[in-house]
Amino acid sequence: MIEAYELTRRYGEFTAVGGVSFSVDEGEIVGILGPNGAGKTTIIRMITGFLPPTAGRVTVAGHDLARDPLAARRELGYLPENVALYPEMRVREYLAYRAHLEGVPRSTARRVIGEVMERTLIDDVSGQIIGTLSKGYRQRVGLATAILHNPRVLVLDEPTVGLDPKQIVAIRGLIRELGEKHTLLLSTHILPEVELLCDRVVIIDQGRIVAEGSPSDLRQQWVGNPVVRVEVRKDDGSVAGALATLDGVVEVRPYAGGPDVFLVEAESGRDLREDVFSLAVENGWVLRELTEERASLEDVFVRLTTRDAAAEAGGEPMTDELAPGERGEEEEVPS
Amino acid sequence: MRGVTATLMRELRAYFLSPLAYVILAFFLLMNGYVFWVIVSYLNDPRSPIGAPLELFFGQTVFFWLVLMFITPVLTMRLLAEERRSGTIEVLMTAPVTEGQVVLGKYLAALLFYVFLWLPTLAYVALIAGYSEIDPGPILTGYLGVLGVGALFMAVGVFGSSFTRNQIVSAVVTFAVLMVLFTFGLLENLVNDDRLRQAFGYLNLWEHMNDFGRGILDTRRLVYYVSASAFFLFLSARILEAKKWR
Repeated sequence: MIEAYELTRRYGEFTAVGGVSFSVDEGEIVGILGPNGAGKTTIIRMITGFLPPTAGRVTVAGHDLARDPLAARRELGYLPENVALYPEMRVREYLAYRAHLEGVPRSTARRVIGEVMERTLIDDVSGQIIGTLSKGYRQRVGLATAILHNPRVLVLDEPTVGLDPKQIVAIRGLIRELGEKHTLLLSTHILPEVELLCDRVVIIDQGRIVAEGSPSDLRQQWVGNPVVRVEVRKDDGSVAGALATLDGVVEVRPYAGGPDVFLVEAESGRDLREDVFSLAVENGWVLRELTEERASLEDVFVRLTTRDAAAEAGGEPMTDELAPGERGEEEEVPS
Repeated sequence: MRGVTATLMRELRAYFLSPLAYVILAFFLLMNGYVFWVIVSYLNDPRSPIGAPLELFFGQTVFFWLVLMFITPVLTMRLLAEERRSGTIEVLMTAPVTEGQVVLGKYLAALLFYVFLWLPTLAYVALIAGYSEIDPGPILTGYLGVLGVGALFMAVGVFGSSFTRNQIVSAVVTFAVLMVLFTFGLLENLVNDDRLRQAFGYLNLWEHMNDFGRGILDTRRLVYYVSASAFFLFLSARILEAKKWR
């Protein structure tokens, strides 16, 4: 549904995005993940046709953005990072204007607007002036705008940024629901969001793709050996030693979070929980907890996006790495 | 077409929802009312030459130009600059509409509001008609001139608004371009070369309005307004296309 080939965007000397290629298949939910200033918004803007790429090509639902922009835009719903609306208009008026702009037939516009307002939970503010709406409502009006013409592809840039926890849950629920009907590309720097919502993740750092795959693939690929957390009622001093004798154990470490808790690192692909249980039974320990420590995407992310900087820290000062990225982001944010 | 009408309707609504529009409307009526009163009182004086008040109203006095030069930037400064400043340009230009349609829609909205500003002056015509004979010809051409000059000025305004996110910059640029356009024609009286004089004369807006007010309909002038408006609108669309993201 979305194909990006070798997308590059330069601002003068500075390359904000360099040679990024990826695709989103029909029905997929793909997340673009990256630290602030990594180039997420730049990529999103090139895919929605707002920003012409310096080099590279984008097709949306088979339409080349450069050659047939209107056909491509027709298939596309877009929620930008800064949801900008006309503050003097009422919600229903604004949606009617957008429906007109998007070419929703006049005969169905009323019904479509009603449905969309219901889906995005804004029908209670339909008569309100947009300038008086809270951030959460504005975000939902933006989302309503994006789905108004029933596009096949939805692109959401940081859809939950700036919302309170309750609103975040509501918006995520809505996004998941939208994912059933539309192909979805969303960018975020919030990791749990990606784990919750996305089939596939593209991790971006300094304008390049550093990893790509499903959240579980990435975890497996980038995180070390499985770890089991074991808590016993009272350690008589022998627990750590006994655990270390188990077959397949690489290392036993005390847990920083409290006494009588140990982290048992196993060889890759081994699940030691049952072995630990048998051992506990044998030695008469009272087990309080036996958990597989699930490596989070956060670990993957931190590892991937700090690895390069750490490797280069010897040669170049890190501030140089960060400065252009931040400059790039500033250019994008309207003030 | 859809892009033009949707933009046009939204902009018109924005005009009538903004307090600025009413301030302009009030100022415009006040100024024109005052000018009309001055003209009528002057012509009422037996020492004054014989003349038609509406002829003077449409041209020959500096008031017409002062008012127009002042209200044009204020009317148009918001059009595209505000889209850039607030960021609404991002959802606007990712909708299936072209830059040209957006520019045209905004331009037509400004022009329609301009026409709306002039509507109350029809009362002056009615007033004069109540007291004396009027010649409808010069009045029609006078309004045609008002429309033509307005079309050109609003196009300059859209252009001034097209490349900045700052409304003040937009207004100043519009005002500067209008000044150049206006004074360009006045150079007619400051050159000795005949061909140059003719060229400047062709662009002399002041003379244009004087003639329109007298009932002289010169199609070359209408061609000038239409082509110059089209030129500024074309530039605006190109600028919008090239500089969407800033």
